[in-house]
Amino acid sequence: MPVDWRGRHATDLNVDDQTDQTRFVEVFLPHLDDAFRLARWISGSRADAEDIVQEASLRAFKGIRTFSGGNTRAWALTIVRNTSYSWLAKNRPSTVVLTEDLDQHAREKMERAAGDGDVPTPEAALIAKMEAEEVRNAVAALPLPFREVLVLREIHDLDYRSIADVIQVPIGTVMSRLARARKLILAALQESTP
Amino acid sequence: MSVSEQDELILNAYLDGELASIEAARFEQRLAKQPGLAAEVEARRALRDRLRSGLAEDVPSDDLRRRIMASVDSAGERKASSWARSWSSLAASFLVGALLGGGLIFGALNDQGRQDVANQVVSAHIRALMAPQSFDVASSDRHTVKPWFAGKLAFAPKVVDLSTQGFPLVGARIDVIGLEPVASLVYSKGKHQISVMEMPNPRGLTTQLTQHAEQGYQALSWSDGKITYWVVSDAAVEELKTFVGLFQELAES
Repeated sequence: MPVDWRGRHATDLNVDDQTDQTRFVEVFLPHLDDAFRLARWISGSRADAEDIVQEASLRAFKGIRTFSGGNTRAWALTIVRNTSYSWLAKNRPSTVVLTEDLDQHAREKMERAAGDGDVPTPEAALIAKMEAEEVRNAVAALPLPFREVLVLREIHDLDYRSIADVIQVPIGTVMSRLARARKLILAALQESTP
Repeated sequence: MSVSEQDELILNAYLDGELASIEAARFEQRLAKQPGLAAEVEARRALRDRLRSGLAEDVPSDDLRRRIMASVDSAGERKASSWARSWSSLAASFLVGALLGGGLIFGALNDQGRQDVANQVVSAHIRALMAPQSFDVASSDRHTVKPWFAGKLAFAPKVVDLSTQGFPLVGARIDVIGLEPVASLVYSKGKHQISVMEMPNPRGLTTQLTQHAEQGYQALSWSDGKITYWVVSDAAVEELKTFVGLFQELAES
């Protein structure tokens, strides 16, 4: 019987495939809502998000053997996040902002916000009164690297370690991006308030 | 109010429950004394509440799950048939290699299966050198590189620090050899790069060091019974053997 280099029997492949589907259903599928939300926040559209999640599902299925245990949610979100980026690069090339541009953009915006010394810090009460829609729009307007960190924290409730794993940056970068993201949002909401 | 950058990070970490309990208690004491700081925390908390309201409505259409299962089913069928084809030819050559090598001195014999892998690892090394950077994660710290592989591979590769011996680690990537993802570490020696590719070896055979030369690259391989290692570089053979000796020594310890 032919044996491949990892010691598997070639004739067992159909059985293996059955297992792949079962594993996919157990590992990836429970996170479908999370996957959809992340893709939606990154792409900004429901229709795009469904396309992205469908593509990410295929990738997850094909790579299901590379999942070595641990946090299934972070693993699923990592695939969705990477698929979102490649999907956007292919289908919506203008929406992908490079980190370098973004740092500049964010810095200017923050400097502007910091310059408005006499405007009071938005109070919690002010935000609580705002329509959720308005707050979400402000998040949607954030540059992508800040938006994804904020969404993974606030919408998906991931801790810093898991966010670092999903977006493949050090924890220190997660912390500074998250701090900036919230500051930018508060500044934007403050600007929108008469 | 304006908050220092340091305080900004602390108040975010506090809000996210990422401070150790002592630090959190200390920060709470500051919050009690500094209403401006407390207002900043509250504003961020309000932001969170707003973002989390209405989440339940934010779900995909019922149709998505059905479409996904349909595409996974058809991909499963395609995968099975294409794998059976590619595996049967590849597997046959490996079977010959396994029979001839018997787990003792692979490279001394004309082992077609091993030659195939040698071709693939050298190709992966060359491809990496031609890319803008030869690694996906840049780090000289093995404590950064090792966790990076977690979740990407079904086994834990060995990562050793050889910087004091003159072979600094520069990063890591995933290569695909024989349709399976493998761990690739990138070390440097002067202007030369050394790729160390690690793949699981479930048959448990220990093999001694063998050497292949491909297109001006040296490919050295051995197996410790759990992992099969391939070291590829255009550095001098003697240097590579020194590298391999050090790597084996540290990987065992």
